Amino acid sequence: MSFAVVEGGCYYHHETINAPRFRGRFDRSFYAPELAEGDLDGFSAVMVADRISPTVLRAKRRLFLRYLKQGGTLIVLGENQAHTWAPGVEWTFKPTNFWWWLDKDTDPGHRIVNPDHEIFRYVPQRAVVWHFHGLLHPPPGAIPLVTIAPEMGGGPDGTLLYDHPGVADGKGRLVVATLDPFYHNGSHFMPMATAFLSGLLDWTDATFRR
Amino acid sequence: MIDALLLDCEQTESGINALMKSVDLGSRFDVVPLYELGNVDLAGYRGLLIGLHADQRFLLSRKAQLEAFLKGGGTIVFCGHVAYRFLDELSPYQPIPNYKVTDLEVIRVADHPVWEGVDTADLTFRRGVAGFYGRGANPPPPGARIIHVLGPGRHPVDYEVRPAVGGRLLVHAGADLWNYADSGNTAARMMPQLLDWIAKPEDA
Repeated sequence: MSFAVVEGGCYYHHETINAPRFRGRFDRSFYAPELAEGDLDGFSAVMVADRISPTVLRAKRRLFLRYLKQGGTLIVLGENQAHTWAPGVEWTFKPTNFWWWLDKDTDPGHRIVNPDHEIFRYVPQRAVVWHFHGLLHPPPGAIPLVTIAPEMGGGPDGTLLYDHPGVADGKGRLVVATLDPFYHNGSHFMPMATAFLSGLLDWTDATFRR
Repeated sequence: MIDALLLDCEQTESGINALMKSVDLGSRFDVVPLYELGNVDLAGYRGLLIGLHADQRFLLSRKAQLEAFLKGGGTIVFCGHVAYRFLDELSPYQPIPNYKVTDLEVIRVADHPVWEGVDTADLTFRRGVAGFYGRGANPPPPGARIIHVLGPGRHPVDYEVRPAVGGRLLVHAGADLWNYADSGNTAARMMPQLLDWIAKPEDA
């Protein structure tokens, strides 16, 4: 069983994938613009790093859909405009509150709605509490994991992270997040983003690389 | 000739939209999607602005075009951390290990037209938080003119160099300098002064 990452050639992708901290956590790395037919075959899970050109991802959309159709697990991180190419994904823009943490008494609104989900055996709950880039709206069948409370501006279903097994009535599994940890970790800024990615990779190690 | 071409990397909140709609600044540069670079005749531009979200593997594949632009007297401004050496003068980014706030203080070591009248305190702090301007260095090549360093370790965060092929190269090891245009303090001077500096073919 093995795990691949798709990256976009940005410095933060290079740093996160190649620096000692997470080196060895990905069995294979693919440069998104060169992703080719058959590349994803056989991987138990594929992570799409945050902040890859949405134009490139849309151009490779068919390869991702085919991978899902074959029963693969696709983990799509934030700022990839997944709502324009991944099945079932709906997203609305919300200006990012980069500064919520300056007031220590602020509740940024994050809620762990399914704390027993397998991801939270590896991802510390506090590691998802940082600024976020817009809100996902999980479709029927998806399991919301982190939401923003309605009274904090999350609306009826505003979600930062969800798991959609059997996506599009098929065998594939789609995990979607609005968080962008490759960017922050690879920029040496915001330790909580590094903690989130560390937990997420502990989950992928345990689940897809045994 | 147009002052500059900015390569857009499709970021939702990059600040580029606000710049594009600014009458004063926006009328001085064009914006094109990064991956369209190969279809652009750079001879129509004095400067090329490359930001932190750029796909550097792609830029490496366009090295010959970038060098031809420099050879023709063009100015390249790069903001971000170097991961791929898409120009010979660039070296991979080195973060300041385990930095503290004092390591992040921006210190001016040479005057430069882009930073004229810019208070280094406005670069060091944003809303009282240090580190946005830079947290390390793209090591400058021999002959570079270092403009700002960070902290007691004097890590060079900004430099200008005359590349061997020609032209001018300005390198900032941090977020895009053009995104300070709406900062509301002296840091906002950088963008118009950057365009002014690019527009001057050769400063003394």
